[in-house]
Amino acid sequence: MLQVNFRKFIKWSIALILVSILAIFYRTYNPTCNIYFPKCPFWELTGFKCPGCGSQRALHYLLNLDIFSAIKENAILVISIPYILAGLTFDSVKKPNEYILKWRKTLFGRNAIVVILTIIIAFWILRNIIY
Amino acid sequence: MKKYFYTDGTNNFGPFTLEELREKLITRETKVWFQELGEWKSAGNVPELNEIFKLAPPPISKTNSNFNNMENINNQKPPKTWLVESILVTLFCCLPFGIAGIVNAAKVESRFYAGDINGANRSSEDAKKWTTVSFWIGVAVGVIYLIVVMAGAASKF
Repeated sequence: MLQVNFRKFIKWSIALILVSILAIFYRTYNPTCNIYFPKCPFWELTGFKCPGCGSQRALHYLLNLDIFSAIKENAILVISIPYILAGLTFDSVKKPNEYILKWRKTLFGRNAIVVILTIIIAFWILRNIIY
Repeated sequence: MKKYFYTDGTNNFGPFTLEELREKLITRETKVWFQELGEWKSAGNVPELNEIFKLAPPPISKTNSNFNNMENINNQKPPKTWLVESILVTLFCCLPFGIAGIVNAAKVESRFYAGDINGANRSSEDAKKWTTVSFWIGVAVGVIYLIVVMAGAASKF
């Protein structure tokens, strides 16, 4: 038991360190003017933006607390942050009561997922038409 | 000697001795009564009558039927859908795998609330597979890209 906990601790510590390094890296360097960031293969191949294009730049601006620039780079990423945090919170509840389950079903149930897919695909099409 | 009564819902029968009661083909659901019991109880819940049912088959379990499942399902947590992880994968790494993950998340939900718990678990495993695969592809691509760029930069010197 102790050994399992220790292993878990090490695992999460390493993950935390790696995420921190990445966060500092993304905060310090702007992907727009730096060659060390991988480019989107979809954009390279087709010349069209995918729904994830600009997410690295958006992350850079977010870490610098420049929300407006982040929205310009990838609006869907910025908008989805509260939703993602809520989802992680709902997932972490081990034994949810009826009330939590009802909200979970509304916000993260099948219908919600269909709406999300629609939004992502609509965003994909629109961002290529409008810009 | 204890005297037993049983009822079919409208008529009461008895008094019987235990031996007589045994002949009456009562089931575990039949309501029985005797003085010490106080109120009518299902015969299956009265320990001293257990030996009557020793040879009778148990009642058909209803827990596997769809009806009971539907009642319980709204109080249960569905298996992990990997929705959040799939969205992150879609935005940061591998669009097709992320979409596959989101579709599987929808399948987990619809199957679970349709009472198909095994199917929901299978879709959950699928969703997990797609997110894990794309996470490691993302890591690998990032590392390889970094190495290639660094090698390119180094060769300029």
